[in-house]
Amino acid sequence: MQNFQQNLQKLEAADTQVLGVSLDSTFSNAAWAEKIGVTFPLLSDWGGDVTHKYGIYNSKYKAARRVTYLIDKEGKVVEMQVDSEAIDPTKLVNYCEVHKPKK
Amino acid sequence: MRRKLIGILGMLLLASATLARLPVLRAQEPQKEGPPEPTIKVGDEAPDFTLLDQNRKPVSLHDYRGKKTVALAFYVFAFTGG
Repeated sequence: MQNFQQNLQKLEAADTQVLGVSLDSTFSNAAWAEKIGVTFPLLSDWGGDVTHKYGIYNSKYKAARRVTYLIDKEGKVVEMQVDSEAIDPTKLVNYCEVHKPKK
Repeated sequence: MRRKLIGILGMLLLASATLARLPVLRAQEPQKEGPPEPTIKVGDEAPDFTLLDQNRKPVSLHDYRGKKTVALAFYVFAFTGG
């Protein structure tokens, strides 16, 4: 999430909203957001319904798999990154900048 | 008599060798528990949701429909890297 925060200006400039999701409680997300200075929403999928819906619930760790989805304005997935690839959002930032709406 | 016996034994051997090769009869190997394969992939409609953020404010995916691109980042646990 720290990497997203570092790239937040670029992503916001490219008309992109970052949303973090995990199975953590809102309380631990609030504490973590404050600790690492995250300003975008960290969503609590308490119970894992959404994580299950996307098929990335890892029963071994009782947690979500690390996956980042890029969803366009029509609600369609246009890009995804999985596991270690998902730690560095550079690819997504580039995608957003290339597809930035021209003003 | 002896020839017949050898013949039967030979056939039994052959039969057992063939049977052992059939995968159905082999003990099933325990399935390795790998990471889950995402069911939502590039080109799919992203399932909508409404979840609470760290300030307990509800956030829905459809809030951004027609307005913004969304980078939806699932992470493993709070207080870990990445």
